[in-house]
Amino acid sequence: MRRGTGSVVTMTLGIAAVASLVATYAVGLSLPPTYEQGDYSKLIAIHPGIAWASYVAFGVTALASVLWLWPRTRSLGWDLLAGASAEVGVVFSALTLVTGSIWGRPTWGVWWVWDARLTLSALELMLLFGYLALRRVPADAEVRGRRSAVAALLGALVVPVNHYAVEWWRTLHQDRSLDLTPQDTLDGRFTFALLLGFLAMTLVYAWLTVHRYRLAQLEEDVVTDDLDAALEARRREAVDA
Amino acid sequence: MSYVWAGYGVTLATLVGYAAWLLLRGRRFR
Repeated sequence: MRRGTGSVVTMTLGIAAVASLVATYAVGLSLPPTYEQGDYSKLIAIHPGIAWASYVAFGVTALASVLWLWPRTRSLGWDLLAGASAEVGVVFSALTLVTGSIWGRPTWGVWWVWDARLTLSALELMLLFGYLALRRVPADAEVRGRRSAVAALLGALVVPVNHYAVEWWRTLHQDRSLDLTPQDTLDGRFTFALLLGFLAMTLVYAWLTVHRYRLAQLEEDVVTDDLDAALEARRREAVDA
Repeated sequence: MSYVWAGYGVTLATLVGYAAWLLLRGRRFR
């Protein structure tokens, strides 16, 4: 008997994700206008959190890939988790570009500029698409697991470069918003909204990834069941002949 | 303010849309 992708865990995680997302929207939209950006600084509650979730997605895909490659921990589950996390990563990666672009237009005057941060963020989305395409190339589970794990690890190298891009190169994109030192200049309400956004987007990412992982398991079961049924049918033909 | 609504709106629509698509794909297996 097959079931859907829900469970008590996903239900609890889902409620926590929705509650924190609602709180993020309430806090974010009620932030006061700032001297430099007016109302546009309200976007601080969502854009950095979304970008963070896309990093988490890359990180989980890379970690699951390592665990698949390591002979002692190798199991199909890690490969499926890597693929699930990458698909959810596409959503957050694309949203990072879209919300960033929407923030850039009123503050920088342009929707897009080819600076290091934006270009690397676009590259990350392309790498995720490439990774997902590679996973769909027909192969047995072993071959698919190996080549997608290697691709994921190479792709994940872009993430730390992108994180430091705003410090290493002169970019239109500002330096990171959050500086966990006493010299931090961000107002308390904005820091709170920023951190709440990080929490909400991480929970939403986790909830989506668990569902996507379970879906991948169900899809894999169908392939295995179909293969078993086909093998059984051929065997019966051979016996009948 | 319209850019703020656009940012918040597109985020909510995308997340809800993807979650719904995911749940629908899962329901095929029930």
